[in-house]
Amino acid sequence: MSHDHSHEAHGHAHVHHHEENFITKYVFSQDHKMIAKQFLITGIVMGVLGMLMSMVFRLQLGFPDMDMAFLKPFLGKWISVDETTGFGKLDPNFYLALITIHGTIMVFFVLTAGLSGTFSNLLIPLQCGARDMASPFLNMLSYWFFFLSSLVMFCSLFVEDGPASPGWTVYPPLSALPKALPGSGTGMTLWLISMIFFIVSALLGGMNYITTVLNMRTKGMKMSRMPLTIWAFLLTAVLGLLSFPVLFGGSLLLVMDRSFGTSFYLSDIPVELTGGIERTGGSPVLFQHLFWFLGHPEVYIILMPALGITSEVIATNSRKPIFGYRAMIISLLGIAFLSFIVWAHHMFITGMNPFLGSVFMVTTLIIAVPSAVKTFNYLTTLWRGNIQFTPAMMFAIGLVSFFIAGGLTGIFLGNAALDINLHDTYFVVAHFHIVMGSAAIFGMFSGIYHWFPKLFRRHMNKAAGYVHFWLTFISAYGVFFPMHFIGLAGVPRRYYANTAYESFDVWMDVNQFITICALLGGLAQVIFLINFFYSIRKGRKSEQNPWKSNTLEWTAPVEHLHGNWPGEIPTVYRWPYDYSNPNYTEDFVPQNVPHEGQTDENQEFEHPHPTT
Amino acid sequence: MRKPFKTHTFTMISNFCMSLNPKRKLTFLIASLFLFLSASAQNAAEGEKLFKDNCQSCHAINDKVVGPALKDVHKRRDEAWLIKWVKNSQKVVASGDAYAVEIFKKYGSVMTAFESLSDGQVKSILAYVKQESEKAPVAVTASASTSSTASANQATNDSMKSNINWLLIIVVGLLFVVIFLVFNILETVGRIQGHDVVNWSSINGFLMLAIGLGGVALSIWEFMIHAPLTVSAQKPASEHGPGIDSMFNITLLFTGIVFIITQVALFYFAWKYRAKKNTKAYFYSHNDKLEYAWTIVPAIVLTILVINGLKNWNKIFSKPAPGTANVEVFAYQFGWTARYPGADNTLGKHDFREIGKANALGVLTDDPKSADDFTSSEIHLPVNKPVTFKFRAKDVIHSAYLPHFRVQMNVVPGLPTEFTFTPTVTTAEMRTQLNNPKFDYALLCNKICGAAHYRMKVTVVIDSQSEYDKWVSEQKPAFTKSATIETPAAETQTADAGHPVSNKPLAVK
Repeated sequence: MSHDHSHEAHGHAHVHHHEENFITKYVFSQDHKMIAKQFLITGIVMGVLGMLMSMVFRLQLGFPDMDMAFLKPFLGKWISVDETTGFGKLDPNFYLALITIHGTIMVFFVLTAGLSGTFSNLLIPLQCGARDMASPFLNMLSYWFFFLSSLVMFCSLFVEDGPASPGWTVYPPLSALPKALPGSGTGMTLWLISMIFFIVSALLGGMNYITTVLNMRTKGMKMSRMPLTIWAFLLTAVLGLLSFPVLFGGSLLLVMDRSFGTSFYLSDIPVELTGGIERTGGSPVLFQHLFWFLGHPEVYIILMPALGITSEVIATNSRKPIFGYRAMIISLLGIAFLSFIVWAHHMFITGMNPFLGSVFMVTTLIIAVPSAVKTFNYLTTLWRGNIQFTPAMMFAIGLVSFFIAGGLTGIFLGNAALDINLHDTYFVVAHFHIVMGSAAIFGMFSGIYHWFPKLFRRHMNKAAGYVHFWLTFISAYGVFFPMHFIGLAGVPRRYYANTAYESFDVWMDVNQFITICALLGGLAQVIFLINFFYSIRKGRKSEQNPWKSNTLEWTAPVEHLHGNWPGEIPTVYRWPYDYSNPNYTEDFVPQNVPHEGQTDENQEFEHPHPTT
Repeated sequence: MRKPFKTHTFTMISNFCMSLNPKRKLTFLIASLFLFLSASAQNAAEGEKLFKDNCQSCHAINDKVVGPALKDVHKRRDEAWLIKWVKNSQKVVASGDAYAVEIFKKYGSVMTAFESLSDGQVKSILAYVKQESEKAPVAVTASASTSSTASANQATNDSMKSNINWLLIIVVGLLFVVIFLVFNILETVGRIQGHDVVNWSSINGFLMLAIGLGGVALSIWEFMIHAPLTVSAQKPASEHGPGIDSMFNITLLFTGIVFIITQVALFYFAWKYRAKKNTKAYFYSHNDKLEYAWTIVPAIVLTILVINGLKNWNKIFSKPAPGTANVEVFAYQFGWTARYPGADNTLGKHDFREIGKANALGVLTDDPKSADDFTSSEIHLPVNKPVTFKFRAKDVIHSAYLPHFRVQMNVVPGLPTEFTFTPTVTTAEMRTQLNNPKFDYALLCNKICGAAHYRMKVTVVIDSQSEYDKWVSEQKPAFTKSATIETPAAETQTADAGHPVSNKPLAVK
């Protein structure tokens, strides 16, 4: 297997600690643990930004007649204040900018970079038993490209015509014609630049994750003994590596159309809108294909790390092996493969040939099977467990709940015929906010609470974690569950207000309720932020293996060493889920504990799972 | 103006957060009274309808939407200028008119050219705007005099509002810090004592059971309250609608059962198997039979759904029968125009280069087929007759969404799309069925298309055959040669522009 001895040599080289200054230690760090922290904190900052934006547009949707003048100090000219009455209104163009940037930030900056970037970086070397990533330098570049990308996106908020506002999917021609939408000017250019940096960051990170997992596992860490987190991160990176370049290409063509007069996506639009040049022969639907070829795997790029984290947290805190370890891996592989052949279910009614629609309906509904297997396996893992309600465990249970609720509505939307009436309504908003928004963010919170001791060598406050969980859980369902019904009533998404249609008036109460839940959910995050930043400095000091977990990261000392383990990297002798094994008195057996009679030379020797 | 909505549930918060201005409601009441007393009512009434069909998505009287607020627009410019502007604002801008250039720069978007409106029609719209403009101040004075105390209260509220907001934020922030500190003390005490002060395991276990199962119950309750308000609960108004609805119900049944069983199991297990002292979990790593079972059972259920879905999908998108009536639905920022083929049942050719020149739709008047085509800002369809909507977009992607008919299709510039369906319930029948005499079917835009996306709609009227025939007989051809002669400027421009390279056959001149 992949235990080559050069790693040992690499490890020994680090015994002589070279002096590190502030810049190399905290800023341009090449240590995977520090880079993980950088990704996490940047992700949290962006997450707060995205959340605040959602608060503003929820106020607009819940209380369309509200006086928004109090937001004038923050939003400036985007709040138009009536001179005589002093009554402030949100600008409709800026509303579109808010939903666009909210979506972009949450999907890419928080749930892709923030989630995958943090936990892949932290856990891949530590759980595989490696000194660091395969290329620490590329790893550093990956973070700094991400940072640059975040910076550009943030700066785009202050552009004169406003930030990009054609929706996070940036469909042309809307995103290509500044005369059709003010946000499609400089704001959109910056959006594209930011996204191109982001893709570079994702690719650099992904290459590293894959190489490290495939080549740098410690002695005895066979693929069939890898924790499910690592499996999830590996497949996530593979998805990213195969699909992000397609978005890169798609974005580049959009840049060409916008700035260099080409017509990849434009056709038959009057010249006064296209900047004087006649554009014919392009197809707006082409962009949608390129976008969703990334866009759909992207959903799983977001979700799979969360599922991996949850598998680990649920097994550890149920004090039980994850049920059906092999089935979990196979279903991850199945989801990863299928995620590439379902993209056009976002496009059933975009003018695509209806025959293609029927093909993509079949593949889409097949993907529900591996997802169902995962759900049932989680439930069986909980069954007859000895459940420790750590905050991480609560969030993991929350994830399973959202995964079920959101997954089931996917069966409606994946059905092309039903999609006719549901496409682009609030039903879709409800679906994806539950299944990839809430579920993934719960996976991320679960990971933060679980590995906080590994990241910051301290504990977060437990009680605050519980309050955070319950408030977030209740408000997330409060926000997104009623949206299903609003969608079924035919209310389209991305409407600045639902006031132009009398038939939508009955939903006014519900929209207010949703807004109040959203505000509650926002407050809950304040508790998290206080807890998080307070605990970094002042939290209770952590012991080495606080959750009595089996995986290798807990065999490393609490102190952060460059190279992770002071001596040799531990050898792995067993799978990671030997919890409550009846052959042992302790209810956990770490991976580096050999079976009776098992030696380094006799690696293949392994007791089958005990039969009880 | 919108119907006042019920706020009883959130009265407290609503009062705090929003200012559903009572003045405005009164304005509306008095304004409507005024409308009927007005001397120019006839003209303005026609103008109101035209305004709603053509202008409303981008303009309001008192508020800026995409374009400027139109209050007192007749005082800003003279009528002739306004007519020119409405018919083709870009021409006015191009002519170098300083005011026009300034407006165009300020609002930054191109106003649709309404060349299809006659001078008289624009005058009616202006009459309506004038009447609405005059109404507003009258109403405000009226409300001021009748409820001076109320507005005085309002004023004090307004001045306090911003302060309260900030105070509240600070108070809540401090409260959180205090709560957090209490939690910290609890944890420290627990550590000194050697066990938690609060028995979190049983509290969380109980909450799992209560909130988890309560949540499932609540979702069923919400389903019972809210599902009847959705369009899916109403009888579909098209032939293919019942197929979609029955499939929706089958899916709902399957997913509903799975939702309840799995959520209940999840939260019940969480409570039931919460950590207790001196217990060890049951080592249970896998069971092949079980795993096969829950792979195969979902696979079977999904196969049923897929087969059902394919059947419906293919039926809906099967080729329309020859002779099916065509209606072109043209989308632009921010409105819809329907073009009917007229007596020859064939739509005349169009070219995007002609949009806004010969006419707003770019229909080629040289094509004899277009001579009898007529347009309408309301879509009329006869009941029980299949119809194919031929979609065409001018600028960006729009989506024609008709929820009552279970119809939706994107409208893509440069890519012709269509949707064939048969309406089965007339507007009048639906009104009685819903017991709402004001009900109208609507076609709404369901793809983000810009600032006034949320107002971009058109009324759809399903007539009985006789009503429909009568309506058709009242329509006048919109693209006759003579209509083009009226605007010779456009003709010359077209000829000058001359597009030798074209991938679409231009009608021979």
